[in-house]
Amino acid sequence: MLTDAWHWLTDLGNSKIAALLIFFPLFVAIIWYVYSNKQRSQRLESYKYMPFQDDETETNDEKVSENEQSRSE
Amino acid sequence: MIKHESIETNVGLLIILSLVAMGIGGLVEIVPLFYINDTIEKVEGVRPYTPLELRGRDIYIREGCYTCHSQMVRPFRDEDLRYGHYSLAAESQYDHPFQWGSKRTGPDLARVGKKYSNEWHVQHLIAPRSVVPESIMPNYPWLLENELHYADITERMRALKKTGVPYAESPAEHAANVEKFGEAVANQLNINDAEKNLLRAAEADNFDGNPARLSEMDAMVAYLQMLGTLVDFNQYDEGYFAEFR
Amino acid sequence: MAGSTPVVSQQYNYAVIRKFAIMALLWGLFGMSVGVYIASELAWPWLNFDIPYITFGRFRPVHTTSVIFGFGGNALFATSYYVVQRTCQARLPSDFLASFTFYGWNAGLLLGVISYMSGITQGREYAEFEWPIDIAITVVWVAYFWLYLGTLRRRSQPHIYVANWFFMAFILATALLHIFNNLAVPTGLFSMKSYSLFSGVQDAMTQWWYGHNAVGFFLTAAFLGMMYYFVPKQAGRPVYSYRLSIIHFWALIFLYMWVGTHHLHWTAIPDWTSTLAATFSILLLMPSWGGMINGIMTLSGAWDKLRSDPIMLFLITSLSFYGMSTFEGPLMALKSVNALSHYTDWTIGHVHSGALGWVAMVSFGSFYHMIPRLYDTKLYSQKLVYAHFFLAVIGILLYIIAMWVSGIGQGIMLRAFDDFGNLQYTFVESVAFMHWPLVFRALGGALFVTGVVIMAVNIFMTIAQAKREAAAIEAKIAAKMAGAAA
Repeated sequence: MLTDAWHWLTDLGNSKIAALLIFFPLFVAIIWYVYSNKQRSQRLESYKYMPFQDDETETNDEKVSENEQSRSE
Repeated sequence: MIKHESIETNVGLLIILSLVAMGIGGLVEIVPLFYINDTIEKVEGVRPYTPLELRGRDIYIREGCYTCHSQMVRPFRDEDLRYGHYSLAAESQYDHPFQWGSKRTGPDLARVGKKYSNEWHVQHLIAPRSVVPESIMPNYPWLLENELHYADITERMRALKKTGVPYAESPAEHAANVEKFGEAVANQLNINDAEKNLLRAAEADNFDGNPARLSEMDAMVAYLQMLGTLVDFNQYDEGYFAEFR
Repeated sequence: MAGSTPVVSQQYNYAVIRKFAIMALLWGLFGMSVGVYIASELAWPWLNFDIPYITFGRFRPVHTTSVIFGFGGNALFATSYYVVQRTCQARLPSDFLASFTFYGWNAGLLLGVISYMSGITQGREYAEFEWPIDIAITVVWVAYFWLYLGTLRRRSQPHIYVANWFFMAFILATALLHIFNNLAVPTGLFSMKSYSLFSGVQDAMTQWWYGHNAVGFFLTAAFLGMMYYFVPKQAGRPVYSYRLSIIHFWALIFLYMWVGTHHLHWTAIPDWTSTLAATFSILLLMPSWGGMINGIMTLSGAWDKLRSDPIMLFLITSLSFYGMSTFEGPLMALKSVNALSHYTDWTIGHVHSGALGWVAMVSFGSFYHMIPRLYDTKLYSQKLVYAHFFLAVIGILLYIIAMWVSGIGQGIMLRAFDDFGNLQYTFVESVAFMHWPLVFRALGGALFVTGVVIMAVNIFMTIAQAKREAAAIEAKIAAKMAGAAA
């Protein structure tokens, strides 16, 4: 029974379709999840500031101009 | 509701899901390996390397010949005319490791065996530009100078036996080889006679032109001269090989 | 700034990062110089000098190992330790293990390079280390994984930043690939010779599963991790789209594993594996370009930085080369194109547009950003960065174009027929044709190495300057203390 299923799956004609049916909807679902909802989008985008939290000596405004600062020093 | 945040805030979950995502493709690439025996052509003549050829192959690997020479003729008309019949999977079934290569700075060597004389090979390996002026191959004079080291030939064959190459050590294994490859070949595959076979082969064919010495050149030329010569393609109909692809 | 130094160096383990960064530069100089040398051997074969240790066949693995694992590997250790500590605001859990990864990794590589020159090799591309070195490297890698995981677990904030996902995937994948691909039977317990467990077709499939994913995870995913941290930091603005980076990550690590077999088109493997690999290679274009767009668009609205900041030039140019070579790759994975391109210099050119254009350039950019911060100083010279940049770009372009000419030219010559249906050219005629492209390739490589020499000088001067500054401050403090005491 299990070996039958295995043989069915390892036949390329079947596994091609099976893979398409599983992975394409999954891909679409991820895209939909990530982009569909405005609130969720905003929440997700809010994480991108993480690399700037390590500049403990600088205040919020200075973060953005960090480079210009270090150069003008 | 599953959130992407659950993954981003949990290392364990991140690792597991990454492994799953990578694992699917990995399995698809690896699982077919276990079915590959069905796709190796059933042809006569392919056999493991004799002790002397094996030492030659080791030297071929040592010198990194695979960085410039492929051993895989592809099914195109120009390659058929230039090198001969396209390579079969069966022809490299005893190759640990495979030496198909990825770059032809020099020509393909899968079927170089018996195309040139031993003397040509020796001269070409010592000084390639003395026979092919445009060649950019390095000289390998030390192959002729170095004595062939063969004290560990049985260890080498035993290691290969562990990987699945049918070298024989017990009488039963030898008998199986006689059945499969015939008496003459089976004798060459007997680990107990390895050293004797190696010396006898070098003496009989005197590949390097100097009967007094057993040099690395003997082994190298012995290996080059058998490449691609094992299968008699006149025996088979072209359509036969296509069935295995 | 100087006042914060003790705090920062206590908070993070910078000492090990400095060591890795310097070793990356040294391996880069060595490996790339060897590259120029072997390139010259192809143009002028007398350069082999009949010395076994430096013939092309033995020297080529020295080049690939030094640049991929020496330069690339050390650069990844350095930047990943930097990124993981700073985005987690946590120190590596063990200073001893961190040092162990440094000495273990570099000692392993050194042994490897010496062994190749002595003719000790597994004879499988990019996995030439013999079995004892393979085992040593595995131990180092486990320590690396443990350190990385430990730092992530100690993080002082809930989220793990996207750069760390890529680094983690790279560590996991490399472990899998390395162990599975190096399964071999040694000829003895004290012997440096082994035979790979698999043979022929199986061995080829395993090897290129490894070979391609070494490119995919070692030279791409990990360097994307670098990109996701250093491009935003240098630009002073967050990455273009965090949502795109989510898609980018999952799609990239999912798709890469499928495509290794495109290195074996038209060989004795089953046809369907070839077709599958070609299909997925095309699909792979999507996440690759998604990542490139995400990186480049980070600069959207601040394009003027490209005019004023040479480090930004490095980073953005690296992404452009990444985009170019990930377009060229799927093209070459098509069976019909591959029939011509495979076995020729076109492949070599493609690899180098990725390796020099993407991997090396993004590392240079990141190093120019990171090293002054590691030493709490400014970069010694911006002008030298510009000089490095232009030498690098001209070198790469010369290299790639020479290889296109050589590769496509040879491919066409080898399949040319005369009016009677015979082969028009012998193989060696194509070798003669390739002489000039090979000369220009060596020249392009030499220009690139010159750029790295300039970088090394710049970094050396930066470190020297940092030491002077630190000494001056100490002297000031000492004077003050003496004054207060009096």
